[in-house]
Amino acid sequence: MSGHLINSLTLQVLTGLQLGAIYALIALGLTLIFGTLGVVNFAHGALYLVAAYCAVFIANSLGFGWGVVLVPTILFAAGWIMERGLVRHFYTRPHTDQILVTFGLAIVVEEALKWGFGSNNIPYPAPAWGSGIVRLHDYLGFLEGFVVFPKWRLVLIGVSLAVIVALFALLRLTTFGLVIRAGMRDAGMLRFLGVNISQRFALVFGLGALIAGVAGVFGGPITQVSPEVGMHLLVPSFLVVVIGGMGSLEGALIAAMLLGMALSFSAQYSAVQQIIIYLVAVVVLLVRPRGLLGKKGVFE
Amino acid sequence: MMTAARFSWPREGLVLGGFAALVLAMPLWLPWIGGYEALATKIVIWAIFALGFDILLGFTAYLSFGHAAFFGTSAYITGLMLKHASTSIIWALFASAVGTLVLAFILGGLILRRSGIYFSILSLAFAQMLHAAALSIFARWTGGDNGLTMDTAPELLGMHMEGQPMFYFAALLLIAGFVAARQIKRSPLGLMLQAVKENHMRLEYTGVNVMGYKIAAYVISAVYAGVAGSLMVIYEPYVATKFLNWSTSGEVVIMSVIGGVNTLVGPMLGAGFMLYFENVVQGLIGAQWKLVLGLIFVLVVIFLPGGFVDLWRRLRRRFGPAPDRRDNVPDAPGSLLEQREARYKAIEEEA
Repeated sequence: MSGHLINSLTLQVLTGLQLGAIYALIALGLTLIFGTLGVVNFAHGALYLVAAYCAVFIANSLGFGWGVVLVPTILFAAGWIMERGLVRHFYTRPHTDQILVTFGLAIVVEEALKWGFGSNNIPYPAPAWGSGIVRLHDYLGFLEGFVVFPKWRLVLIGVSLAVIVALFALLRLTTFGLVIRAGMRDAGMLRFLGVNISQRFALVFGLGALIAGVAGVFGGPITQVSPEVGMHLLVPSFLVVVIGGMGSLEGALIAAMLLGMALSFSAQYSAVQQIIIYLVAVVVLLVRPRGLLGKKGVFE
Repeated sequence: MMTAARFSWPREGLVLGGFAALVLAMPLWLPWIGGYEALATKIVIWAIFALGFDILLGFTAYLSFGHAAFFGTSAYITGLMLKHASTSIIWALFASAVGTLVLAFILGGLILRRSGIYFSILSLAFAQMLHAAALSIFARWTGGDNGLTMDTAPELLGMHMEGQPMFYFAALLLIAGFVAARQIKRSPLGLMLQAVKENHMRLEYTGVNVMGYKIAAYVISAVYAGVAGSLMVIYEPYVATKFLNWSTSGEVVIMSVIGGVNTLVGPMLGAGFMLYFENVVQGLIGAQWKLVLGLIFVLVVIFLPGGFVDLWRRLRRRFGPAPDRRDNVPDAPGSLLEQREARYKAIEEEA
């Protein structure tokens, strides 16, 4: 294989990983909330927005490190309040009402941010230690010549990996995770067993928002920070959730990577790139309407 | 509860006559409340869109977040027809109606296989796909980001479609659409759609072709959206890429829900309210009208799920005269149960 091909292949895989990483971070929160509470959160993109805006201001005033600590905490609290104050009252109402109320909330947040900070991009540079480029050819022997990649995009891949591992560990290895997974199957039975399921639901919602918070802090420098970004990311994230099979975390991961790679490898054909993720969704859903890892009969 | 509305000509005549008078006189009464004549045309066009949307959402409870697909596609077809083929709007309307029908059958066949949340998300995704395609693959014809501009003057049988003629043309279509929607609601098709909403599984088990009925509702509502999109371009000879964007789908959702779903009148009322807000109230409160509207929308969803139309019903229930028969309490004096028992007793005594 010629060196040029290997180089471009490596770069495309890395770009795909990075795109998939940001989709995964947003879609994991979505699918966690959906799988456990059965709520489609149209306001998830708005949570990402809030996180990115908070991150910009905290990073500028207190430093990036504080942003990493504070923003997910703020978002956890925001998610918890949102569940207790609003979403909780919609569990017994039709699914369409849940969609409508979160959709309305998304509009309110987006418009409020526009009002407060204008609709232009807010500059959010990556911190000094993460900016610049990585000379990939120093590390990967099979590359030929001079091959570089933005450092921050590698950081984003690493952070996503860490969040994914942490989330799966939380769900698979702890009692809390056991209860949550049981709640995904049958919330009523847990209530009979004496688990305060209502409290756990608020924690899960907070957790989903927290992941959106991490995405906002680390994704902001790449996706940019402007009021439209929330919806721009929400549509592909929904696709990730649907392609993966609703409520399936593993499915969401696979789907996020699939879409990331599809986007990255179609970059040379700019006309196709705009619609490639939808094409992938069409093909997957025609072949397998319940999504890649969707279980038969669940939300069908 | 599902009951077929009883049909009586005097009542129907009163409703339709009143509606027609209200719509046709809009250019006269709108300025009284701070509006202007040109706004009436826009309200009528969006009312057609919202009315059609209610046929899907209100009758079958399928919440589409992708109706901009039909509005926008039809707008583009109309624009291209007017620009390249003929300035007569008859051909443009015909071509866009055919285009919308074909698109609705294809999309409906794909996404109506799923219901509930899946349907909402898939409809959103497919509409966004068309939006992205218009900006990239079809950019040569659609003008991409700049939208489609034309310098031709649309005409109907030699009459320029602008100003008052345009308003009355659109208003007549709205009235026709309202009559048709009321007929559909009363027809066996309308009852079947209500049954789909109640329990589509049970309906399927009784051997009904549920998919066929769902497609019918979807296609009918798409045609309304298409007509609205077409009229929009005839009214303002410009196709914005926003027409295909999800924000347009969101607007019609907001209108319908604010006004009151499943009432036919409600969504049209919502359309009027929203455009009034966008054009008149914006002058008072500035660019933040969208934030206020979003708040109103959230409050309506939380506290008034039936929309503005339901507000009237609720007020009447609270402050109006007390109902003389208490149907909701089975054994209250004068309840249906008691009446029935009294009738049985009378029959027994007769026997």
